Amino acid sequence: MCSVSPEVLEMVTVKKETEMTEKEIYTRLTRVFQDVFDDDTLQINGETTADDVDDWDSLSHITLIAAVENEFGMRFKMKEVSTMANVGEMVDLIAERGH
Amino acid sequence: MIFADLFFLFLFLPVCLLCYYQASRLKTRNLILIIFSLIFYAWGEPLWVFLLIFSAFFNWFMALQLEKFKDELPGKILLAVALCVDLGFLFVFKYTGFFVETINAIFRTGIPVPSIRLPIGISFFTFQAISYVLDVYWETVPAQKKFRHFLLYLSFFPQLIAGPIVRYSDVEKELTKRRVTPQDFYEGSTRVVIGLTKKVLLANNLYTIVENFFGNGITGLSTLGTWYTVIIYSMYVYFDFSGYSDMAIGMGRLFGFHFNENFNYPFITSSIAEFWRRWHISLGSFFRDYLLYVPIFGKRRQYLNLFLVWFCTGMWHGASWNYILWGLYYGFWIFFEQKLGKKAMKKWPVWFKHLYSLFLIVIGFGIFYFEDFGQLGQFFLNITGISMIVNHSGFADPVTWSSLLNNLFLIALGVVACLPVLPRIRTWFHDNRDTRIFKIGKISWVVICGVALVICSIALVDATNNPFLYWRF
Repeated sequence: MCSVSPEVLEMVTVKKETEMTEKEIYTRLTRVFQDVFDDDTLQINGETTADDVDDWDSLSHITLIAAVENEFGMRFKMKEVSTMANVGEMVDLIAERGH
Repeated sequence: MIFADLFFLFLFLPVCLLCYYQASRLKTRNLILIIFSLIFYAWGEPLWVFLLIFSAFFNWFMALQLEKFKDELPGKILLAVALCVDLGFLFVFKYTGFFVETINAIFRTGIPVPSIRLPIGISFFTFQAISYVLDVYWETVPAQKKFRHFLLYLSFFPQLIAGPIVRYSDVEKELTKRRVTPQDFYEGSTRVVIGLTKKVLLANNLYTIVENFFGNGITGLSTLGTWYTVIIYSMYVYFDFSGYSDMAIGMGRLFGFHFNENFNYPFITSSIAEFWRRWHISLGSFFRDYLLYVPIFGKRRQYLNLFLVWFCTGMWHGASWNYILWGLYYGFWIFFEQKLGKKAMKKWPVWFKHLYSLFLIVIGFGIFYFEDFGQLGQFFLNITGISMIVNHSGFADPVTWSSLLNNLFLIALGVVACLPVLPRIRTWFHDNRDTRIFKIGKISWVVICGVALVICSIALVDATNNPFLYWRF
């Protein structure tokens, strides 16, 4: 049986993270948005805010956050959920911690 | 001390303004505002003014400490201590009696219920302090280095006893740099008169009707009478509360502060969720920003966080089960709208959306009014018409009709004041900015406000009924 040292594991994870390009994040994130807001035509970019998406209010924000966390296997902090200003900030956090 | 009071309007406020404007340095001006604010509070709460000062000092100190640690463990501990102390005070002063009564009722125990008098405004200034500490912890604002600035933020008398719940981040700059333009003074003073008029001429008179019908129990009141009174009561709460907010915002302007709006014509809403974006906005946004996303329920957060927010919203309004029921009632309808989806609601005819919202809101105010569950039950029997079968009470009664006819002018005025008529007129005048109409409009508005002030003052001299809604908050 072969064992993998933690260092190697870390390297693998780091490699995987860097592999996730911004474009890829946007593609996956757009799907999540389309799913949560039940709108296949919905497109997002870094500047998109809650005001731009019809159904994006404080309650659907919880649903959205849960779906994003699921998709990218990560957790947002409460501060981040409360103070996130636009999709760009969400993408930055995903790039930092998601995979 | 309260705003709708001759002593406040014609002595306290003018003297405060005079002292403020004769000082030229901002430091002196701030000191004057602190002194007047503490006198304002101590007037009714000579002992609890020290609680206010302690709360200010404690939160100022804690924020300064936890800022050093950011997101590390000591910072988290300091945050937890600050929140526990703030909420602990609120709980002890506001909910001890309620808590003991509930324990007694459930376990049939006979623990004596302590009678603790609620320090006025504690719910408001505690929430302001919590929002500040959390903002510093989240690094959305830097901690205030000077205690006097923070004390002014927390104790500033216009927003001290009945809101709005002003965020530190919104006034941070104005605490150290502000000036009052003639426009500020004009808008501030007319805004104070608008608020006063809402409170004295509309709210107080509407409340007389409510007391006549609901004051001595509602058994035997007809279905129409119950509907009539609960609609009047809804308008009363709106004018009373938004009137106070208008006065607070107006007085803030007189001293160079720009507070956010607290009400935005809530009765023109087309959904329950929208109602809460228009009603007591500073409270709704507080719960949205500081409680809605609290990560304690894991996967079930979608439902349980909503429940928590509305439970707390209800409980914030008073230590009684009917307020909690009232909060959860709104939580339920917001959940309902969420599940239904905005797309489905968009298909509803416009008139139906408004009718649906107003119907639920008015019934909500019934729950808000009756602390006694027996009376609340009777209210539901009356309003649904079941009492016509059970108690053989009538659909209408002559007292209701005569009250309606006698107060027709007041009610019509109330309905108009619930609609955004003033902003429309204002926009129209501003569209004609360069014409003579604009000047005439401006002068007429000053005259109208002057006359309103005189009428309100006469009404206050004569007042036998000037209820204050916020003793419970």
